[in-house]
Amino acid sequence: MIIILPVLIPLLTAICGLLVQKSSIGRRWFFGFSAWVQFGLAIYLVREAWVSGTQGLYLGGWEAPIGITLVLDMLSALMVGMATLMTLACTIYGFYEQKVEDKHPLRLPLIQLLLVGMNLSILTGDLFNLFVAFEVMLLASYALITLEADDWDVRQAFPYVAINIFGSAFFLIGCGFTYGLFGSLNFADIALQSEQMLADGEGSPYQVELLAMLMVFVFAIKAGAFPLYYWLPNSYPILPPALAGLFSGMLTKVGVYVLIRWLGTVMPHDLDFIYNVLVWVGIASMFFAVLGAVSRNFIRGILSFHIPSQIGFMLLAIGFFTPYAFAAGIFFLLHNIMAKGSLFLCGGVVTFLCGSDDLKKTGNLWVASPLLGVVFFVQAMSLAGLPPFSGFWGKYMIIREGIALGEYVLVGFALAASVLTLFSMLKIWLASFWTENPDVKPRVDDKRWRKMTYAVGGIAIVSLFMGLGAQLFVELSMMASEHVLDRVGYAESILTGREFR
Amino acid sequence: MQSTDSPIFKSVAVVMFFIVNLFALYLLFRGHNMPGGGFIAGVATSVAVILLSFGMGLEAAQKILRSDPIRIATWGFLIATLSGVLPMFFGLPYLTTFNYKAYELPVIGDFYIGTPLSFDIGVYMVVVGVITKVIFVIAESTSQEHRLVRIAESGYCARSEEPIEEDPLRKSEEVPIHPDK
Repeated sequence: MIIILPVLIPLLTAICGLLVQKSSIGRRWFFGFSAWVQFGLAIYLVREAWVSGTQGLYLGGWEAPIGITLVLDMLSALMVGMATLMTLACTIYGFYEQKVEDKHPLRLPLIQLLLVGMNLSILTGDLFNLFVAFEVMLLASYALITLEADDWDVRQAFPYVAINIFGSAFFLIGCGFTYGLFGSLNFADIALQSEQMLADGEGSPYQVELLAMLMVFVFAIKAGAFPLYYWLPNSYPILPPALAGLFSGMLTKVGVYVLIRWLGTVMPHDLDFIYNVLVWVGIASMFFAVLGAVSRNFIRGILSFHIPSQIGFMLLAIGFFTPYAFAAGIFFLLHNIMAKGSLFLCGGVVTFLCGSDDLKKTGNLWVASPLLGVVFFVQAMSLAGLPPFSGFWGKYMIIREGIALGEYVLVGFALAASVLTLFSMLKIWLASFWTENPDVKPRVDDKRWRKMTYAVGGIAIVSLFMGLGAQLFVELSMMASEHVLDRVGYAESILTGREFR
Repeated sequence: MQSTDSPIFKSVAVVMFFIVNLFALYLLFRGHNMPGGGFIAGVATSVAVILLSFGMGLEAAQKILRSDPIRIATWGFLIATLSGVLPMFFGLPYLTTFNYKAYELPVIGDFYIGTPLSFDIGVYMVVVGVITKVIFVIAESTSQEHRLVRIAESGYCARSEEPIEEDPLRKSEEVPIHPDK
């Protein structure tokens, strides 16, 4: 019963926001309150998953595999938690970014609809419902990306829309293929039947492999993996900072989440070819994207190029395909959502203070605001992977697993990419905070930037907690990876009343 | 859009408006177990409204809807969502349906009704609202209805977007594109 609420509450909030379109303080209070409620609910869901493990909700009372099933396990609970946390922070940040009367009336409802799409695609246990959830998410993001855009921005947003429509078409083809192959779209049912099919020798294993590859291709587009990340560094910098934080934090990571779910829970565990492809795609995206980041000279551009680079680490972890590597990947995923989102928000504060985020036109910020400097430093070093911040533990776990598997070449590439990440983060740090630039006078008299910094600081505190108290989060990630990889357990808890081998 | 000069088209449009809407209602009510339903009924109704706007002019068609089409769509969205929420108060999963059946009533015969109908009505309103809104915006823009275009732009356009059409009056008039800016 409670599993539907992360979808339903944002939906009702968005509808109320559409009915009352005039921007006002009361409307802001309403949206802020709703975001807090959702965050509290997500924490409760994590506890629920901790206590009672995988559980399903049959919408409309139609038992699986006939109806649509929503599934809660540790991984989906953690992801819902992150989605609501980022939405909360970005909503509050957005309140101070613009004055009440400047705000576009549709922005807040669209953020909530985006959250509906994200939460539904995280919670759903049905392939076609996943497609619908992706479409809800993407439509809201198309609207948000062009909501406050000018001509140039719309041109930059076009590749984003085009590549996602392309990806959605392939997704739909994949859905049809799945239904033709298994006669079902329910994740648990597909998991059982694909196993059965391979065991009975009916149907060729190549069909399953082709299907898995097709869907991996689709999800890799959504996640922004190596050959297909062109749209990402061009379209994300045009977003206003509050939205950029949410997009960069969550949207691509939902693609990674679905990839973990698809390969871990739904498909058979012997698709070695795909895992090898994923590993090399991961290496390529972490390396080429970070080179792009090094070449850029404005904060949002650097940070946008880092998104595919970090996605590469997650793909590497998925490609190793051991329970420990999955836990490492999930930990890194959680860390990266917060680090990346809050770095974008920090970049927004820098833009607010200096009037631009071109590295040549910023400076003096350490004197103007040590607090912002500390928040940025913590998150930047966390992204680069220095101890004791959370990024270190994520990378440490991934690389330890790589060494245990004897993949020294891959580990070498990953470490080199980390060094380049550190370099580009230091570039921002030195240019914006550490240098004295006589041409720049930070606009400190407008007090709104302080509140924006507090909103980012909130995420930074959670992120620091994740780094310093890594034990708890590592345990949660281990549990999540157990839940994801336990295909029979997943099927048992969803398809009640069937016999299992 | 200016209303057409042809009296034949005008009178046919008015008659067709009622016939098509009647058919739409038929589709809406039979939708639960047979082909039909909220979506297709909504498309039929929006076609009827658009036909009327061709015949009688845009203002007449907007007067029939009585409010901004997007507002209709939003209310429909709310109705559809709430009809799914209703069973949650009885401890049942979201979207569970309640049905009422009565057999051999006088005049109407067998009679079924249930919460899928209210969901369908919600979908119907969403579809009518969205389709008519899209068509109205395009029609307003191509037929030099500057006042309506400006109202639409203030609600739904990006702040710095180029105007959809060239409007020679815009610079001379005092009305801003975004009244709330």
